[in-house]
Amino acid sequence: MLIELEGVTKIYNQDHPNEVRALHDVSFKVATKNMVCLRGASGSGKSTLLAIIGCVFPPSSGRASIAGQQLARLPDRFLTFHRRNFIGFIFQRFNILPALSVLENITLPLLPLGISPRDRKQRARPLMEQLSILHRENFPAGQISGGELQRVAIARALINNPPIILADEPTAHLDTRLSKDFMTIMSGLREAGKTIILASHDPLVSDHESIDNIIDIRDGRIHVP
Amino acid sequence: MFLNAWSIALCILSLLALFLLSMAGRTAYRVLRFWNPSSDKELQIALERETWLASTMIAYGLGFQLISLVVFVLAADNFCQVIAGAMCATGSLMANDFGLPALWIKITGIFLYGFWLVLHKLDVSCETYPLVRLKYWYLLVLLPFLATDVFYQTAYIAGLEPDIITSCCAVVFSGAKNVGSNLFTGIPKTTLLILFYGTAAFLVVFGLAYLRLHTRWMDWIFGIGWGWFFFVSMMAITTVFSSYIYAMPYHKCPFCILKPEYYYYGFLLFGTMMPAVFLGLSCTLASLVKYRGHLEPVVHTFQHRSAKISIILLLIFTVLSSYHFIVYTISGGQV
Repeated sequence: MLIELEGVTKIYNQDHPNEVRALHDVSFKVATKNMVCLRGASGSGKSTLLAIIGCVFPPSSGRASIAGQQLARLPDRFLTFHRRNFIGFIFQRFNILPALSVLENITLPLLPLGISPRDRKQRARPLMEQLSILHRENFPAGQISGGELQRVAIARALINNPPIILADEPTAHLDTRLSKDFMTIMSGLREAGKTIILASHDPLVSDHESIDNIIDIRDGRIHVP
Repeated sequence: MFLNAWSIALCILSLLALFLLSMAGRTAYRVLRFWNPSSDKELQIALERETWLASTMIAYGLGFQLISLVVFVLAADNFCQVIAGAMCATGSLMANDFGLPALWIKITGIFLYGFWLVLHKLDVSCETYPLVRLKYWYLLVLLPFLATDVFYQTAYIAGLEPDIITSCCAVVFSGAKNVGSNLFTGIPKTTLLILFYGTAAFLVVFGLAYLRLHTRWMDWIFGIGWGWFFFVSMMAITTVFSSYIYAMPYHKCPFCILKPEYYYYGFLLFGTMMPAVFLGLSCTLASLVKYRGHLEPVVHTFQHRSAKISIILLLIFTVLSSYHFIVYTISGGQV
């Protein structure tokens, strides 16, 4: 198993009056090259779960491991290294820097690796071509359409060639056509050997033919119908 | 009590360090009691996050204490302007019973505080937190030492009276047998120079061999060699080299060379000697934890780098400390 969660609990603001128990004792496994959808209403704990899998923060208790290693509990310098190499994250609002060009946004994760600008460009170009945004290479990201922005976000998540892709509500701000395009791209990535976890309550995502497994989350717990 | 910018800066630095380490003391207690890296429980995960904050606080606190040695010496040098009989930091430090002990404690502290930072550096260079318990156990040992350091420093500053007549370095470090209370006496100059250059040469040759072979017994000999060199070089600076820097045969003082009239030459000497000794001793310290967890490659890299830097610093220190002495000898002066 590539990803294993066992008894994961997450409590925000612990021991404070505004304490929130976002996840309760969540356990599941995701095999390599699978595409999994975390399905649930807003506030159900999907994003928290995705953030724990993505090593954004550790669980309050329980075990969340990737390839047998509890990455989120590693010291920061190792965590950064593993996160950069293992995980590509597509955010709900894409988190693209509008003042930078499309190319600069895509190659941002390569900056800490000390790769030369020429090599960065060489790595980004095939991805941009594959995602049909090569013609926007030098455009400021703030001046491109929503669909193109999303593809920039996908390219940025893929630039380090991570084995795991996480996407948080990736279709929340897209129309039906763009959402379908997104799922087509994800299917292609799954075929290419990536393990993908999508957090979404959009039926276009959860009902897609490429989804191998759906995990229903309600009030921070896995719901078994 | 002297209240000027130096004494206030010293007190603030030390109180800040004491505050930060005391705060981290709570984490130390929790780590020693509950730390269990194989557990997935809430307490362990919370402790893992907490130790990051606590370790950062300790590192800053100890960093302040390392700086405080320099500030302490500069402050003592500044105090001499108002203490009767004092010409430099020597006189100021001997103005009451707490001055010299405070200095010795601070010099010892440089190594003790620095060793914690070395352990911390090694610990965070490994994925599995192999030295967390040791680090926090050591912190609990350091806390009373730091409190003693702060106490002596505060007692020294609080006990300073401008109307007390104190000694000056010309008396304290004088070579004459019938004058004052000499701090370093009894070793003839030639013997001291042989010891100094002999130990330096040994450390360079042994250090080069150590870089290639790196066996366990070599760790120990290297450390002992550096410890010995520290005392020999302190004596050599004070009783031999300083008088050549001052160009006055009877002026022997480790503090006046820090003054602007001698172009702050002492900072070059102590600034190369102290780190060289510290890094040399750190090689031995690191060897004690080499086989914990997955530390072996990390410790090996650390030892190699530290030994290399310590040898380079030793060579620079030897050249700097010998410069005035050699120039004087070459130009026809009598040794």
